[in-house]
Amino acid sequence: MKIHEFVGKELLREYSVKVPKSYLVKEKPYDVKFLPAVLKSQVLVGGRMKAGGVLFAHEKSEFESKVDELLFKEIKGEKPYGVLVEEMIPIQKEYYVSLLLDREEKDIIILFSENGGIDIEDNKDSIIKTNFNDFENKIPEKISKILPKLRKLFREKDLTLLEINPLVEDINGELYALDIVMHLDDNAIFRQDWAKEFIENEYPFHFVKLDGDIGIIGCGAGIVMATMDAVKLSGGEPANFLDLGGGAEKNITIQALELLKSYNIKRIILNIFGGITKCDEIASGLVEFKNNNPEIQLYVRLTGTNEEEAKRILKDNNINYYDDMYSMIIDAVRMVNIND
Amino acid sequence: MINGNEKVCVQGITGKYGKLHTEKMLKYGTKILCGVSKNKNIKNINGVEVLNNMNDAVEKYNVDTSIVFVPAPFAKDAVFEAINAGIKKIIIITEHIPQQDMLDIYKISKDNDVMVIGPNCPGVILPGKSKIGIMPENAFKPGDIAVISKSGTLMYEISNYLSKYSTGIKVGIGLGGDPIIGTSIEEAFDYIIRENIRKVVVIGEVGGNDEINGIEKALKKGYNGDIKVFFAGRTAPKGKRMGHAGAIVEGYEGSIEYKEKRLKDIGIKVIKEISELGG
Repeated sequence: MKIHEFVGKELLREYSVKVPKSYLVKEKPYDVKFLPAVLKSQVLVGGRMKAGGVLFAHEKSEFESKVDELLFKEIKGEKPYGVLVEEMIPIQKEYYVSLLLDREEKDIIILFSENGGIDIEDNKDSIIKTNFNDFENKIPEKISKILPKLRKLFREKDLTLLEINPLVEDINGELYALDIVMHLDDNAIFRQDWAKEFIENEYPFHFVKLDGDIGIIGCGAGIVMATMDAVKLSGGEPANFLDLGGGAEKNITIQALELLKSYNIKRIILNIFGGITKCDEIASGLVEFKNNNPEIQLYVRLTGTNEEEAKRILKDNNINYYDDMYSMIIDAVRMVNIND
Repeated sequence: MINGNEKVCVQGITGKYGKLHTEKMLKYGTKILCGVSKNKNIKNINGVEVLNNMNDAVEKYNVDTSIVFVPAPFAKDAVFEAINAGIKKIIIITEHIPQQDMLDIYKISKDNDVMVIGPNCPGVILPGKSKIGIMPENAFKPGDIAVISKSGTLMYEISNYLSKYSTGIKVGIGLGGDPIIGTSIEEAFDYIIRENIRKVVVIGEVGGNDEINGIEKALKKGYNGDIKVFFAGRTAPKGKRMGHAGAIVEGYEGSIEYKEKRLKDIGIKVIKEISELGG
C-alpha cells in the first residue's frame, strides 16, 4: 500500500528525521501559516512534479487560487487527498537515499546517490547499492547518521520501500527529507493502525482493471495470470485480473462476479483449481449469480477439491462447464469475436 | 527436501484448514503424529493428539517436521517456537505473513540450519508416498518429473497436465509466491541434483530473478537433465500488482521477455502454452 507524503513525513518526524514545516489543507477556508510556500498535491502516482502537481505561492493573493487549482486537478487520473503546504528550503545539495526490502538479498538494502532530484532515473549509474553491515565507508558520514533512524522506522512500521528524493542539504548544512515515496506491506496493515484510515480497496480479493472485454476470475495469482496469458495468446483481451485467493467461498464468488458485471463485462471466464478452495462453494455462488443475471455468459472450469459435488450443482442448474482450461478459453475468445 | 519418512506435527491443527488438511494428509499416508494449537479446548483431531506447544510435541512424539497453518499475525511466533524446539523442516502454508516477519524467520532458520519452505505455498508432495501440504492429490500421479513452482494453483494445473499427458510426477515442490521465501529455486535444484532427478519443470512468474539464478547455478553445478520453464504473467501490465507481491514487474529485469532471453542464451526452453509440456 502506498502511503501519502504528508503521512510519511509525520512518521519521519516521529523518528527524528528532519522534514520541512508543513500542514495539510483539504477544504476552504485555506489557512495561510507562512509564505512563501510550496503547494504539493497529495496523490500517490509518480511524476507528480512533471504533471503539474507542485506549485509555488509567494503572495497571499495567489495562495488561495493555487491551492484551489491543485485540489480540483486530477494528476494522471488520480484525485488528490489534499494539498500539503510546505516551507521552502534553500537548497545547497540534493541526494538520493532509499531503503528497500530486497528479495534476492533477503535483507533491507540501501541505495544512495550524490545526484538526487527528479532526474534520478537518468543518473542510475551514480547509485551505490549497499546494506546495513557495510555502508560506513560508502556513504558520506552526514548521511550515514540518519540511516539507523530510517532503518528503525522501516522495520517498526513494516515498510517495503522508503525513498527520499531529494534528501537536501540546506545552506546551513542541515539535512531535510524533501520528497518521499513510502510503501507499507499490505500483509502488516493489521498491526499498523495509523494506516487503516487510508485503505481504499476493500474487496476480499485482489482486483486489477484492464482494458479488454473478457472477464477473468481464478484462485491464485499464478493461475489467473496464466489464464490471462492464454486469453491473450488466443487473440482475446482480458478485461481484468481477479484473484479470489485461497479458500474463497460462495459469497465472495458472487461479490467478484457482481464487481465484473458493474464494469459492464458480458463474458466471464472462471478458472478454478481447488486446493484449499472448495469447488462446490464456488459452484453455489455461480448458480446464484447466473439465476439473477442470465444475460452474462459464464465460461467455467472447476477441478480439484470437491469437484464432483461442484459439477453436480452446475449440471442440476444447466450451467455448462469445461474439463480443460484451453478449450474453455478458445470458446470464450471465439464468441467474443463473433459478436464484435 | 522431504523423503516421506518425516514425523510431522501440524501447527494450527484446530483451525478450519488445519483440520481439513490433517485429515487429507493422513489419508495420503503422511506420518502426522500430533498437532499443536493454542486452543486449549480441543484435545484431538482425527485421532491425532493436540498439544499446547512444540516442545511437548518434540518430547512426546519426537517429531522433526512441522507444517504451519497458524494465522499470519501469529505465524512468526509459531515458527520460532518450532525452531527453538529443534524442528528441522518447516513448511509454512499460511499466506499474508508480513515481510519483516519473513526476514526474521529467514535469518533464524539459516542460523539454525532449518529448512523452511514457503510461506504462502502449497507444500511438498511425493506422489503415491507422502504429502506435507494442501495440494489436490489427484493432480499428482507418480512418475519421474520434478515440478518446482512459486505459484500454488498453477502447480496443480501443470502437474495435472504432466500426470495425464506426460510421464508423471516424482516430486512437487511449492516454494510460495511471496517476495521473501525460505527455500529458493536454487536450493530446490540442489535437492534435484542430489536425488538425480532427470526431468524438471520450473513454474515461474513475472518479477524477481529467482528462476534465472536458480537455473544458472544448477547448470554451473553440472546439472544436465531436461529443464523446461513456464512463466505466468506475460500480460501483466507494467508496475501493477498482480496479487503475489512477488509478481510486480520490477522494470525490465523482472519482465518475462528479459527472463526468456537470459534462458535462451543458456539453452533452456521456455514453454508458452501448457499443452507443449505433453509427451
